[in-house]
This record gives sequence, structure tokens and C-alpha cells, in this order.
Amino acid sequence: MNKIEAKNVNVFYGEKQALFDINMDIQEKQVTALIGPSGCGKSTFLRCLNRMNDVIEICKVEGEIKINDYNINQKGTDVVRLREKIGMVFQKPNPFPKTLYENISYGPEIHGMAQSKDELDQIVEDSLKKAALWNEVKDRLNEPGTGLSGGQQQRLCIARAISVKPEVILMDEPCSALDPIATAQIEELIDELKKEHTIVIVTHSMSQAARVSQQTGFFHLGKLIEVGSTDKIFKNPDQQQTQDYITGRFG
Amino acid sequence: MINREEFLNKRYKSEKRFQFYGKSAIVLALLFLAVFLFKIFSTGYTAFQKTWITIPINYDPEFMYLDADQKPSIQDLEDSEYFDVGIESFAALDQNANEDQITDIKRMFAFIFEEEIKYHILSNPDDFGKIVEVKLTASDDLDQVFKGNYPRELPEERRRVTDYQLKIFDKLNAEGKVESNFNFSFFTNADSREAELAGIASSFMGSLFSILVCLAVSFPVALLAAIYLEEFAPKNRLTDFIEVNINNLAAVPSIVFGLLGLGVLLAVFGLPRSTPLVGGITLSLMTLPTIIIAARASLKAVPPSIREAALAMGASRMQTTLHHTVPLSLPGTLSGTIIGLAQALGETAPLILIGMVAFVNTIPGSPMDPAASLPVQIYIWAESAERGFVEKVSACIMVLLIFLVLMNLAAQMIRHKFEKKWN
Repeated sequence: MNKIEAKNVNVFYGEKQALFDINMDIQEKQVTALIGPSGCGKSTFLRCLNRMNDVIEICKVEGEIKINDYNINQKGTDVVRLREKIGMVFQKPNPFPKTLYENISYGPEIHGMAQSKDELDQIVEDSLKKAALWNEVKDRLNEPGTGLSGGQQQRLCIARAISVKPEVILMDEPCSALDPIATAQIEELIDELKKEHTIVIVTHSMSQAARVSQQTGFFHLGKLIEVGSTDKIFKNPDQQQTQDYITGRFG
Repeated sequence: MINREEFLNKRYKSEKRFQFYGKSAIVLALLFLAVFLFKIFSTGYTAFQKTWITIPINYDPEFMYLDADQKPSIQDLEDSEYFDVGIESFAALDQNANEDQITDIKRMFAFIFEEEIKYHILSNPDDFGKIVEVKLTASDDLDQVFKGNYPRELPEERRRVTDYQLKIFDKLNAEGKVESNFNFSFFTNADSREAELAGIASSFMGSLFSILVCLAVSFPVALLAAIYLEEFAPKNRLTDFIEVNINNLAAVPSIVFGLLGLGVLLAVFGLPRSTPLVGGITLSLMTLPTIIIAARASLKAVPPSIREAALAMGASRMQTTLHHTVPLSLPGTLSGTIIGLAQALGETAPLILIGMVAFVNTIPGSPMDPAASLPVQIYIWAESAERGFVEKVSACIMVLLIFLVLMNLAAQMIRHKFEKKWN
């Protein structure tokens, strides 16, 4: 089932066009990987999905992006509600400079999701457990989140993102700042999370895309060259360009 | 190969030379500072001492216009006159003194001798009718003589202290009747025309009230302006224009702000002249751009990733700003604020224009009372002719410097404490 449908999405940074007529469907409760060389627009497309491009003043987004059949680019869309439903994990771990507990409790608090302190404690515990971090940090929830290792910080950010029970989680190269062991942990986690969430992940690593995703989209120079099941893209792509990129002939 | 070795040697030498220049610059700067501080402290430290002369005071009922046979009540003593008590006691110091010489002796003491004589008898009513030793404040000239700051070698007609006064003083000194103690009145008295009585209480309170008013006005305004400009305002020509003008405002000479205070606050709004309220508002015009610039710089220094994290969690822009960006920028903002206030504390010119240069001999109880301020007090005393004010100027500078150093230390501590917390 399609969770997200993008139709004719064009993105401009001032005069420069960054995305050209992107049409792409994203399946529910699957992992969709966006791959492509640097500057190809895959991160830009990802940021369209929770309207994070609004933050960039010169950025203009055209076209239709339907999530649950609702066009998020239409006037009057409440981005606060949208981002509650669509969580995001960034390239560099960016925990708040607050305690571990406060990092997780922030989202539920601002969205009024917990009626009591106990409920909030429960959300924090659940989120950390789902992010496979609970056992490592349960005794030091009042220590600063910035004191963790890089991999732990990224899992903290994932826990923070899932604390508000989003339907979709966007991940912008979540492992690029991590070592192989931490990367493996995150990948395992992604596999677990797709049972409840739709995941869109931007990655530089083709092996990672092959490992974690069911769908893959290949971007090049602002265009979506090919999209399809990961198996097909990696074994038998339709486009020559995709073939060249997958086999490492350019990029 | 040889060429290369020479080249390397040259590089090491020029590096050493460069370090030497840097070190000499630091030594030179420290030297200036040392000379400056030495000068201030060596002139000023004596102001913290005050000279007292103990002489026998004759509480003869006749001089106090009271009945000798009846013990007077406290009220009687309170209402009595003490000028004659003083004069008769002064005359008793030299049996052969003529009228002029008695006046000379009188001038050896601060003009509040009557008060001091009265104060003694009020606290010791049993001394009525007796001759007792009482400690009186010496005049500022003799204070300087005792401290060794007075050029005794000048011919008499060029001195304010007469040979006769010196003779009496030396005699009393030889008898051990002259002493100096810590000068509490320097901190508790308001300004006075008499150097021996002048203190910094009025100007200290004036400065304190001024910077409190300045803080209360400029901090909230500057913080809100900085937050809006940095976090919410669109980047366009108008905001660029505003930014340039804020930077210009920071470079406007302070006397111009004084004229603004005079023309607007006093003339248009009719606020009371010479008060810390007006002084504080005028100074806040000066600190405003400083705080805005500091606050914007520290807001800018907050990593964008924190804002993105909050926004991606579904926080509104205001929540992102108030929950994350502003708290993180606060240490920098606060230390910028304190530095701005320290600048305002040392500011003289605008305060002179709004009338805080007036001679104020009362201690202000609120920002609405007339007051001087520490730097203006320095200016007023530096203009005074009496020798006694020279050391007061330096002492006042010391107090101002200590005030400033404490504020800068506070700024450092705030920055240190809060920055450490998360790094």
C-alpha cells in the first residue's frame, strides 16, 4: 500500500533547480532507500516529506506530496502536526544538550501525549527499549545526552523520533558518522522499526541500501532515474545509469 | 642541500623573532598597566585613612548656656549650643593666643566640630561640667600634613596652613594626640565641599541605581530584538538596514546619547533632572546595541542542528526558540550584557549632560532621587582645588575599578559555569 505519493515535485534553491519532476510512491511499513551521488537531491527530497525545507528561506517546493492521501504542500497544512506524524533522524547525531530523559520526553510533552509523570516515564522507557538503548542508559537517565558515544547518540535520536509514535521515520544518512559496529546496530534497529513504521532512508552506502531496504530509488542530478524493488535495482536495473552507479563505474 | 638548510634556519629565526615581538608587546602592555595601577594606588590608599586630633574639651555650663547647679536632661543637652564650648577649648590650647590665632586653631578642625562635641556629651552626659579629652576630625589640610602629602617647605603665604597652625599641630602630634584610623566616612558620607568629610555613598548608590535601571530597560528590549532579528525576521533589505543601524548605534559617541536624554527625557517627558532614572535610561541607549550584538552572536553560535532537531520533533518556531536556542545562548548573552553594563558604569559624558554632575550631599534612596555617579564624582573631585581631594580622586577610581573588575569576573564566571555544563 502506498503511504506516500509524490507527484511532479520540483524544488528550487533560489534560481537553481534542485529536483526535477519527481514521481515516487513509498510503501507502508517498508524501508525505502534513496541512493545516488553527492548533490543528487536525495536529501532534498527527503526533507520535502516533512517540510523541513521550509526552514531554508530561499527554498521553494512545487508539486504534490500526498501522505495518507493528504497533500502536505497545500495551504493551511499544520507543519507541527505533520512533523509529529513524520519523524526525522539526521546525519550527525544531534541530541538536545539536556538529560537523556528530557531528550525523549520533549516530544511527548510539547504534543501533550502524556497525562501523568508515570505515563511519560513509560513512554521514555518504551522509546529507549525500541531504540535498543534502554539497557545501556537506564541507570543514568539524568546525565546529559551529549555524553554518550556517537552510536548511542544516534540511537538516542532514533528513540527521540519514535517517542511521538510517528507513522513515518525519515533518516538522512544516519550512519555516516558512525563506526561499523554502531552502523550494524542501527541497521538491525531499522529492520525492527519497519514493523511499525514506514521508513525512508538516504544513504551513501549501496551495501547498506541493499541490506536494509525493500524499495530503492536512484537519484542523479536532481532526477529520479529509477525506482523499484531493491532486488531488481541491484540485480537487474532497467537503466544503464543505474547499472553504472551500482557497479561503481561512477559516483 | 645547503640552501635548504639555510632556508630552514631562516624560518626558525623569523619564527623566534615573531614570538619575541609578541612577548615584548605583552610586556609593554603590562608595564603600562602596572604604572597606572601603581600611580592610582600610591596616591589613593591614604584616602582610606582619616586623621583625628584629641584635645581637652571644656564642658563648662557657662559656655553651654545651662544652669551649673542642676544636672541637665538629655533634651537640654540636645538643645544646647556647642560653638562656644569649642572655641573656649581651642583657646585653651594656647594661653597666649589672640583672636586670629584662635580662628586659626578652629580651622585646624573639620567644621563639624560642634556636632562631634555635642555627640560626645550626649553619649556621656556625666561629663557635664568637666574637662574631657574628645577626638575631633582634623581639617583636610592637616589630614594631608599628617599623611606627609603637604608641602611644608613652601613659604607661608603660598600655603593654606599657617605656621602657627603647624606649630600647634606639631606640639599635639608630639604629645601623641594625633592619630589616623580607617576612614569609614569615605564610604558612608555623601559628597561634601570639605574634603575630610566627602564620601562616595551618594555616587556609589547613584551608579548602582543607574545600572539597575539600565539593565531593567535594555536587557529585555535587547533580548527580544535580538531573538526576533535572529530567529524570526526574514532576511531582506529592511532587516539588513536595521542590522547596519544597530552596529552604527554601537559606534555613536556617548555624549550624543546624553543630548538625546537631555532633549527627550528631560525636556519632552519632564523626568526629574539629575536622577539615576534618567541616567539609567540614557545609558541603556548605549548598552542596547552592545547587548543586541552579543545576543545575536550567541544565538548564531547555537548549532543549527539543535534547531532542526526541535523542529523535526514538531516544535513550533517559538517553542524551538524558547526551549532550546535561547537557553543555550543565554550564557553568552549574559556576559555580553554585563560587559555592556560595565561600559555604562564607566560612562561620564552623557551623565554630565543630563545633570548628574550636580553637587549632591544626600544619599539617594531610590532612582528618583538626585544623585551623582562614580565616574562623574571623579570628575567633580578632580576639578576641586583642595589638596584633600587629590587622594579622594584616586580612591574613587579604585572603587570604580574594583566594581568593574567584579562585574567582569561575574561575566567570566557565568560564561564558564554554563558553558562547561554540556561540553
